[in-house]
Amino acid sequence: MPQLMPFYFVNQISFTFLVLLSLIFVLSKYILPYFVYLFVTRFYITVLN
Amino acid sequence: MFSPLDQFETISLFSLAAPILGNFNIALTNLGFYCFLVFVIIFGFHVISNNNLALVPSHYSIALESFFASIANMVRSQIGENKEIYLPFVYSLFLFILVSNLVSNVPYNFAVTSSAIVCLGLSVTIFLSVTILALTKHGIKFFSFFVPSGCPLALVPLLVLIELISYFARSVSLGLRLFANIVAGHTLLAILSSFLIKLFSTSILVFFVTLIPFALFTAIIGLEIAVSFIQAFVFSLLVCSYIKDAEYLH
Repeated sequence: MPQLMPFYFVNQISFTFLVLLSLIFVLSKYILPYFVYLFVTRFYITVLN
Repeated sequence: MFSPLDQFETISLFSLAAPILGNFNIALTNLGFYCFLVFVIIFGFHVISNNNLALVPSHYSIALESFFASIANMVRSQIGENKEIYLPFVYSLFLFILVSNLVSNVPYNFAVTSSAIVCLGLSVTIFLSVTILALTKHGIKFFSFFVPSGCPLALVPLLVLIELISYFARSVSLGLRLFANIVAGHTLLAILSSFLIKLFSTSILVFFVTLIPFALFTAIIGLEIAVSFIQAFVFSLLVCSYIKDAEYLH
């Protein structure tokens, strides 16, 4: 039914945003900070040498 | 009847309908499923590559670290040295688009970015957030963005109109570029493969002759993989450029 199209769109966009927002949360909270720690540690080791 | 556009159809895998709660209906579609699949792939890749946080990198972590470094470099060079707060967003966006494009290159898989509403929804949301960011940062001075510096006063009404149209066109062009590239590439592959399967199944002689167009077809698949990378890169680069415009106003 064509009048139901907006609901399909809402479903699609909700799933996309749900996944993208959880991805941003997981990456920025748990994964990317370790990259920074790692880079900073390597930098200090290089400087100390 | 075979249609090359069948592959972009969003179908419901299973749904939950509750007529008591005002005809509440929630459905897991193939698009939703592939969104979760993309999330699992990205998360899994990061878990594999974390290398127990060792200082000496493994093969996977070298790949991931150089990947991260190139995105970080893009954000730094585009937005600014002290604007790394935008890095997780750009990094996630790039990975989401890249992995959904690459997953769709595997035969019989669904392309999340071939949905117009997903791409346009992403680009319109980014456009609105960037405009809100610019308005909160610069207030009324944001509107000076539409007047190019040093233009004669007589030309200002015309130029403001042009700049305004080009500014609003960003919201559509960003998503449309990605959507059109993915849909066009996948449709082309579907059409060519339907020709090839007919040629391959004709006779032995035609089978060997068809190996020549098949080589071309393989090259087009390589091109599609390159398009997956390029479109993800272009999308995130343009998002960086829009954030830069919102931060510095020219």
